[in-house]
Amino acid sequence: MSQLQGIRVLELADGLVDLGGRMLAELGTTVISLSRGAPRTSAREIAWGHGKHRASWPDDISALAPLLQDADILLEDRRRGAVIPDAMLQGHDRLIHVVASPYSAGGPRSGHAATDLTLMAQSGLMHITGDPDRPPLRFPGEQAYALTGIQVATGALMALHARHQTGRGQRVDVSALQAATLANYREAIMFEWTGRIGNRTGNRLVRGKSGVRQVWPCADGYVTWSMIDNPNMMRAVVKVLEQHDAAGELSQVDWAGILVADMPQDVIDRWETIIEGFFARHTKAQLGEWSLTLGWGLSVIHDLGEVRNSAHLAARGLFVPITTDTGTIPLPAPLFGHGAGGPVPARSFAPERPLDEFAGWGGLE
Amino acid sequence: MRALDGVKIADFSWVGAGPRSTKDLADNGALVIKIESARRLDLGRRSPPFAGSPKDHDGSAFFAQSNTSKKSVTLNLSDPRGVDLARKLVEWADVVVENFGPGYMERIGLGFDELRRIKPDIILASVSVAGRSGPMAGFRGYGNSAAAHSGHAALSGWPDRPPHMPPLAYGDVVAPMFATVAILAALEYRSRTKQGQHLDISQIEPMVHVIADLFADPHATKTGNADPVIAPHGVYPCKGRDEWIAIAAETDAQWRSLCETLHLPFDPQFATVQDRVAQSDILDRTIAEVTVLRDRAALLSALAQSDVPAATVQNGRDVFEDPELRAAGHFVPVLHPVLGKSMMPAPPMTFSQTPPVVSAAPCLGADNENVLSGILGMSAAQLEELESLGVIA
Repeated sequence: MSQLQGIRVLELADGLVDLGGRMLAELGTTVISLSRGAPRTSAREIAWGHGKHRASWPDDISALAPLLQDADILLEDRRRGAVIPDAMLQGHDRLIHVVASPYSAGGPRSGHAATDLTLMAQSGLMHITGDPDRPPLRFPGEQAYALTGIQVATGALMALHARHQTGRGQRVDVSALQAATLANYREAIMFEWTGRIGNRTGNRLVRGKSGVRQVWPCADGYVTWSMIDNPNMMRAVVKVLEQHDAAGELSQVDWAGILVADMPQDVIDRWETIIEGFFARHTKAQLGEWSLTLGWGLSVIHDLGEVRNSAHLAARGLFVPITTDTGTIPLPAPLFGHGAGGPVPARSFAPERPLDEFAGWGGLE
Repeated sequence: MRALDGVKIADFSWVGAGPRSTKDLADNGALVIKIESARRLDLGRRSPPFAGSPKDHDGSAFFAQSNTSKKSVTLNLSDPRGVDLARKLVEWADVVVENFGPGYMERIGLGFDELRRIKPDIILASVSVAGRSGPMAGFRGYGNSAAAHSGHAALSGWPDRPPHMPPLAYGDVVAPMFATVAILAALEYRSRTKQGQHLDISQIEPMVHVIADLFADPHATKTGNADPVIAPHGVYPCKGRDEWIAIAAETDAQWRSLCETLHLPFDPQFATVQDRVAQSDILDRTIAEVTVLRDRAALLSALAQSDVPAATVQNGRDVFEDPELRAAGHFVPVLHPVLGKSMMPAPPMTFSQTPPVVSAAPCLGADNENVLSGILGMSAAQLEELESLGVIA
């Protein structure tokens, strides 16, 4: 994918900008990345670093000046404070300077320490994630960082578009807390309009007067499916249950004439017991096949190995072998399907090299 | 000036996965015309919470927050004359966005090949659960489907319990963000090559991308709130019902500051981060025993002064009233014809030269006249006739 071939990106990474730089690299830009040295697993380094050129962090930050001279985009991660003094940026009128910080520059939390976990906590997402009898839970991976990284790429590309009109770069400030909070699209607005405060409900989705299950054990794992107000979908499920003499009272329900969300909880529970027994007797493959062909809206819950080996994702070319110094590892690479041609980015996790080897961008394109 | 002034979007998308992308573009200056219909109402308009009656298709706050700064026209796409008007909007547009079920755009004569005949350099962004190719291309599902197929559900929840699905469709959040990046990159590509393209954004694939670090780890498993290289890294109870604080001490210095703030003796068994990670269960219990006696706001303040990363676990009310988010302008007041003065989420970034401007979401068909007359050049008589025939509806 080479939609952005020829664009030069200098990345100073500390968690918040890493995925943004990776997306820009995947889109064809040339990315030189310097890592600020936060505690990271090698898996995180490889996942966010492949496709980039990696340079060592200099003792004197002014050593970056020659690279800045010819950069189009500077991604500056200020998770633990500013890196580039303003004076270094003077005269770089075409530079797009994307600054990612945990909080807004003038707000009450400005300058406070933050990590992915604390940002997720403040976003409100953790309060509703997990079980009512346990502490709030984060999402897998580092989602506040990931959400911020995507916004970093977005801000850079919007400023690039504006530069075509004005001939000038600009500064873009991305707030990690805002990026994470934007993902919490329901809770704040629900409070604003109803005064209700959402809580952890385990795997029960509560809408209206009752709650419905979202996760079900089956013969060889788990699937996700919920009773919802979609009569066609409900009829499609019940039809298969009837073919197996397992529908019970579900055959008598007029799905177009009721609202699942308004049914008493004891009725929902009774219906779900029928469904539970049926799912438990069938495999993920069988249930998934019925869902795909009959429109059940059911999804098989895949573990990471099953995702890596998915025939569907293989057909779409999502996982690509990435070369590291210890071998190859399959990682997600293309961001989306598209019609742009051109060379694909380097499929390797490059070793870190001395900064001075990149002087003048060293013919990297 | 805004960053995307001059960009024109014909937006056929609905519910969440498409509209959140075109909101990003509209708030930053793109002219986004939402093509919808009272006859096939955007289900987002039926989604709570509502201002007033749930039957008022302009009263959904859910819809309003995902569709700020856009225009709305109502075209009946089951009528060929409605499709003809849609084709004229395609001719006007730089970008078409859709997230219908598989094959719908082709069935109504608006597949990519046809769009290219109308406008050779058009960019089409299609957002779907599993993408437009591959064995699952026809899959019909929801945002949660992407969580199941990407590994998110399997890795969510506690290690000793079944997979977990949070009560929100995270795939409906991440995929449109990727769609926004895709559209912006395609606009850049078109400015260089004069070529459009079909962008095929699957909800599953962005969800895989955002946990790429777990795919890079051959031993990745469910860890709850624990981290492989940071400890303590958890959520701890505070005084009061369902009151919690998240704490993550990245460095030895932060660990020492945490001990001082919590009045914990410095225990040599936790001297290094490796020690702390290896004994994180004991560490978490030790910390919880003291935090449960503390007021969460006071403890947060003390930890902030000690430079220890921490945050209270906020609920919906806390988020809505959060002083930091208010100071950042995260929620901006807009005046909506039905919702009145209401708070809408702004882009999570500021631009020094091209600041975004957030305006109210449109009422259904509010811009029929302006768009169909102003852009397509239709006369008042033509509009009246097509309304009476149910084409503009």
